[in-house]
Amino acid sequence: MMRTRRSRTAVGLGVLAVVALALAASLGAGGAGAKSAALPRAQTLYMSGTQWSPYTDLNPAKNWDYATGIGGLNYETPFRYNAVTDKFRPWLASAGAWKSKTVYEMTVRSGVKWSDGKPLTAGDFKFTFDTLKIPTHPQHALWQTTGLKSVKAQGNKVVFTFAGAPGVQQFDNYRFNVLIVPQHVFKGYTDEEIATGNLEDTSNIVGTGPYTYQSGATTGSQAIVWKKKTDWWATKALGLKVAPTYVVDLHNTSNASSLANLLKGNIDLFNNFAPKSAIRSNFKTYFSGAPYHLGANTTWLIPNTTKQPLNDKQFRSALAYSVNMNQIIDKAYQGLVAKASPTGLLPIWDKWVDRAAVKQYGFSYNPSKAKSILAAAGYKDTDGDGYVENKDGSKIDLQIICPNGWSDWMTSIQVIAESAKAVGIKVTPAYPEYGTLVDDRGHARYDLVLNNDRQWSNTPWTYYQYLFQLPILENQATVNFARYSNPTAWNLTQALDKIPSSNPKAIKATMSKLQRIFMQDLPAIPLWYNGLWSMMSTKYWTNWPSNSGGQYAPTAWRNYWQMTAIDMLTSLKPASNSK
Amino acid sequence: MRRYFGRKLLIYAVTFFVAVTIDWAIPRFMPGDPVEALVARMQAQPGSQEALTGYYNEAFGLDVPVWKQYLNFWAALFHGDLGLSILHFPTPVSELIMAALPYTLALLVPAILLSFWAGNKVGAMAARRKSLDNTVLPAGYVLTATPHMWLGMILVWLFAVVLSIFPVSNAYDFDVQPGWTWEFAWSFAQHWVLPFSALFLVAFGGWAIGMRNMIIYELESDYSNYLAALGAPSRLVRKYAYRNAVLPQITGLALALGAVIAGAIVVEIVFAYPGLGSLTLDAIQNRDYFLIQGIFLFLICGVLIANFIIDIVYVVVDPRTRIGMQGGS
Amino acid sequence: MTTVSDPRDGEGIAGVEVPAVQPGAPAGPTPAVPRRRSELLYFAFRNAKFVIGLGIVLAFLVLAIVGPYLTDSTPLEFSGPTDQPPSSEYWFGTTSFGQDVFAQFVYGLRAAFLVGALGGGLAAVLGMLVGFTAGYRGGWIDDLLNMLTNVVLVIPTLAILIIVAAYMSMQSYVTEAILIGLTSWPWAARALRAQTFSLKTREFVDIAKLSGRGTWQVIAREIAPNMSSYLFMMFILLFGGAILIGATLDFLGLGPSESISLGLMMNNAFAASALLLGSWWWFIPPGVGIIGIVGGLYIMNVGLDEVFNPKLREL
Repeated sequence: MMRTRRSRTAVGLGVLAVVALALAASLGAGGAGAKSAALPRAQTLYMSGTQWSPYTDLNPAKNWDYATGIGGLNYETPFRYNAVTDKFRPWLASAGAWKSKTVYEMTVRSGVKWSDGKPLTAGDFKFTFDTLKIPTHPQHALWQTTGLKSVKAQGNKVVFTFAGAPGVQQFDNYRFNVLIVPQHVFKGYTDEEIATGNLEDTSNIVGTGPYTYQSGATTGSQAIVWKKKTDWWATKALGLKVAPTYVVDLHNTSNASSLANLLKGNIDLFNNFAPKSAIRSNFKTYFSGAPYHLGANTTWLIPNTTKQPLNDKQFRSALAYSVNMNQIIDKAYQGLVAKASPTGLLPIWDKWVDRAAVKQYGFSYNPSKAKSILAAAGYKDTDGDGYVENKDGSKIDLQIICPNGWSDWMTSIQVIAESAKAVGIKVTPAYPEYGTLVDDRGHARYDLVLNNDRQWSNTPWTYYQYLFQLPILENQATVNFARYSNPTAWNLTQALDKIPSSNPKAIKATMSKLQRIFMQDLPAIPLWYNGLWSMMSTKYWTNWPSNSGGQYAPTAWRNYWQMTAIDMLTSLKPASNSK
Repeated sequence: MRRYFGRKLLIYAVTFFVAVTIDWAIPRFMPGDPVEALVARMQAQPGSQEALTGYYNEAFGLDVPVWKQYLNFWAALFHGDLGLSILHFPTPVSELIMAALPYTLALLVPAILLSFWAGNKVGAMAARRKSLDNTVLPAGYVLTATPHMWLGMILVWLFAVVLSIFPVSNAYDFDVQPGWTWEFAWSFAQHWVLPFSALFLVAFGGWAIGMRNMIIYELESDYSNYLAALGAPSRLVRKYAYRNAVLPQITGLALALGAVIAGAIVVEIVFAYPGLGSLTLDAIQNRDYFLIQGIFLFLICGVLIANFIIDIVYVVVDPRTRIGMQGGS
Repeated sequence: MTTVSDPRDGEGIAGVEVPAVQPGAPAGPTPAVPRRRSELLYFAFRNAKFVIGLGIVLAFLVLAIVGPYLTDSTPLEFSGPTDQPPSSEYWFGTTSFGQDVFAQFVYGLRAAFLVGALGGGLAAVLGMLVGFTAGYRGGWIDDLLNMLTNVVLVIPTLAILIIVAAYMSMQSYVTEAILIGLTSWPWAARALRAQTFSLKTREFVDIAKLSGRGTWQVIAREIAPNMSSYLFMMFILLFGGAILIGATLDFLGLGPSESISLGLMMNNAFAASALLLGSWWWFIPPGVGIIGIVGGLYIMNVGLDEVFNPKLREL
């Protein structure tokens, strides 16, 4: 017996030793010499809701994946864009203007320094824009679809030369979405590394932004820490100061764990979806009442227009009238989202909405209207099962899909299916894995799918390109999932791209035509505005963005810093009751 | 002895080969294309779609015939190369696994060993005393019938949300950096207690019940009655009974590994514990072939090694096995 | 374990095997001592453990059968107010989406019994096929089947199930049950092999063989009936195990999602942060349901063990 016990203990000790060794090895690699001195709470902004992958991607080109803060806090863009006022703000470029129909010129702001002390030059601009020529660069389309032919550095000017009529709306988009990188650092990287690598060397995080990298960019890290720069260029040039000394982004391990941190007061800015009951008295939201959050993107119900009966616009229209939006808003979101405009356009584009067209063609929940449209178009229930059949008598049995695990969407498509059944259209919900869904969606192997891929931007062109892009490829990976083919609409979209923002009349006229086509044909059914989820705790910081205060984007999501999120940091104030 | 272990090693080798082949094959022959999912996630414009798809297919070695992919897989494996993660491209899979492994081991190994030890002790005691048996038996059945994730959720709710004694989730506080500091150790320990308890308690219930039943069998067996009839002290009889009863329990340990690993996966998810379980779910949901394969490979190796250790322990513990090996059979 | 010529095999150690599902679940039974059925039934219903276990399981079974008739709501319908604690109208309260938790619970019980019966049944059949064949035929067939058993045993089956389920996107609980059945038979096969090994040398088997019966006839007429109690108890353990595995898969969001199950209820509650927001009525019932069924089965099993094995009754 003794023997037995001894040997078992020995085995146990052995295994424990292995564990200890493994822990030691990993910690040694990850956190050797890490000072874990707690940050001063009152001067630190804790945020969460952006980062789901490890904080190891430090590549500013990968704007869907890079560690939170790489864009915005560290690297900055030539311009910024305010969607509320629809105004561009010169940023790393102190000015920019069209010198002729095909030549655009930016002036590099003087006195801007990289965090390693070297000055920002026109060469850095040219270098950055030239990296977009790499075919695998995520923003490569700048060189493909805008007509851009060359970028030259001349003194403190950057000259963009186009061929033909430039896609000015698209180009405007790049003006505030390309993060300028330091040539003297990045020239050491290969093209492959710049386009797709992780650029893991933290000593190469050299930016112009208000913060410098402090710690946390490792595989197992739970947070990335940014520290305020003492000599941010915008302080001198624009009188702007970011309030928090430290900005810390916490990794999203699960909704529950992020929410727990928020409820404990550990998080100041929370950009995850949280149920309405989580909104407590000391949390602010952008609006004080429903829908509480700004709309960040439109959620669409996308029909596969290559399939019967979804290829019939009457049928799509009937489907649109059948959707009980209020029930989705109540049950799936507890009132946290707002119904989308029948045009699908985001509230920030409200000024482009053609009210007359909406009145004439817009749809809203109306089951009896849906039924009458079906009847008028010739869809009848010929076999008496309660559901209408195709015009040729074959059965209609549609499947609506969204990714498994997206619980708010799963609830929503159940409501959609139920309300479609109520008007006699048989729709069944299904929840494939995300990867399967993407594959099927790209290759037209679906009936109905939800999608919300397009975010806030400076131009509705991004929306119409998403809806109308032609030609249809074998795999429609990111746009026009409906495979809706309408050359007129696509030509109008391309025309819209070429109208400069200085000509709002022409934009409005083209937009009006596009809206009419859209609402009559419904290549996608706009449902609701997915929220720019944001709960802001007033425990340590006040003066948060709000509808009645600073109308900025209250978010740490990627690509929003260069819109107005950075203004959130400059307008924050420490809460007076905190130490 | 050598023949015995030689044969065992051969079996392990074959099992390893088959298991790894299945591991390689399953994600590959299922519908869906991981590269397309990646291209969709990065919101590539139609113009660059083709270049990107081509690039990533090549980067992941998916541009060669399947049989070649299989050979390449083995070749890379022998160089310790598990490929690149698709989800976290271009981070190597091994790096992600190494970052997660310590946390999983820190939960699993103590939970397995301590529950085995404590469960057997308590089970043996229960078999001796009717009063104890009346509490151990029902408690054991409830515990062993409890789904791991549910116990985890109840522990979180009771001890983290209602009573606020322990943290809700994660492996350490967000404002602590992993490292050899007391601060980290303390934070780690606090976060470790609940997920460990969830794994420990379920397994403990099983071992206690198993041991209790085994001891009763042994005490009713002929040799026990014979010993008792010879007037041996009951302590001695019980000692022999315990020795015999623990043997099948050790066999059970090997059989239970799969279940404990499964338990660890869901417990990690409940606690957002940054181990292999959370990584697995992440990999599956994002269809990360190479990450799934890599984790799975680790699990297979882990189970095989644990089995081998148990085999050795068994030989050490059970003298009959040694006699059998020396030519008795 | 994991050996072809396991030196322990054929020793007839009682209850060597534990299900792979839960570590050290109830000890397995010993080969039956043939006895009359009526006598067994008499002892069974005088055994408190058996009666209690059976009572619990039957109670849940009845609830699963009649429960859906007690409520107007269907489990996924968003008919009610959101996030309500239990009340006279909604006995178990409602979810944050306005679904009736009681309706979900009773339909979930149905799914649990279905997965348990089907998954456990399939595993029992496979275990019997492999175990009987290996034990009775011996030789290279035994070696081969043992190897197969070892492979399935060593592979972390849940990991395989997760992968397969993730890619197959299961449409029904039948698919799920089949997947579970296909992966959870090995311990049963091992146990049966050992039992068959010891039985096949008995006289009555020899006589049957001499009378010219085929392999399967001998197994079906002579060997299996002599282990019927053993087989029944093995099925009970596999039944409970299949429910637990099913719940785990559903919790991971890998089960059929068009209908409700107890595991899916836990998944939904967890995803909607019910733990943090205090909606205890949402996540407690599914666990209680599973513990009730599986625990009841296990207790029944021990009771049966005592019935079949009179020596044990004396404690």
